[in-house]
Amino acid sequence: MHSDQPSAADDPAEVADDIDKAALARVMRTVPLGAAVLAGSMVALLVIGYLLIYLLIFIPRGTVG
Amino acid sequence: MTELHPEMHERRILGTELLWAFGVGVLIALTLGMIVFTALTMGINPPSNVERIDPKTLHLSGEFAEHNLGTTVGPDGSTTVRIIATQFMFVPRCIAVPRGRLVTLRLATPDVIHGILITGTNVNTMVVPGYVAQVHTEFTRDGDLLMPCHEYCGTGHSEMWATVQVMTNDQFKPGADGRVSCAQR
Repeated sequence: MHSDQPSAADDPAEVADDIDKAALARVMRTVPLGAAVLAGSMVALLVIGYLLIYLLIFIPRGTVG
Repeated sequence: MTELHPEMHERRILGTELLWAFGVGVLIALTLGMIVFTALTMGINPPSNVERIDPKTLHLSGEFAEHNLGTTVGPDGSTTVRIIATQFMFVPRCIAVPRGRLVTLRLATPDVIHGILITGTNVNTMVVPGYVAQVHTEFTRDGDLLMPCHEYCGTGHSEMWATVQVMTNDQFKPGADGRVSCAQR
């Protein structure tokens, strides 16, 4: 890199903050729970949608084969 | 603040993944169970029929000759509908079927791939040249249903549709030859 070209590392806003290990551990204790709740509720919505279509639309339309 | 030992942390992640995998396994088993249950108790199956027919000659003689098309009630009371799907129409354009009885739809095409669905029912199949598409169903409500071609078959595709006239037992009267045509409405 030429010295006359600016680097992102020169800008303090672009450089990562110092990470407080204890704070990170505290956050990481709840992040997996949040991810599980988010993924679980999204899958639950998908399954509920599938069941509603299957039971209220597909089944009443009757026999086919 | 105490930090988890890396091994404990790994074990916790593994436990979460196993729990998630178990939940997904239960969902898949539930879905497959429902499909098998409805197939065995309600007769809801994907239509499946492998039967060859020569598309070049199907209109000349045999099952799909013109005089055989439409609705026929056999001596045993079974209702069979034979339809040709061709660019860009169904022959016949109106199909008479009884309400509350098992109906067999048989379709063939002499040209390109077509497809049918009947609105408000689970009837939905492809019609592929060289094969006879067959669907068994039972219509539960009387009235006129739309049967469009649902597989793009050329420039006239959007004009390709037929009417399925579902008749009550009073209206569905086969003639001496066992054939039933749509009522003029």
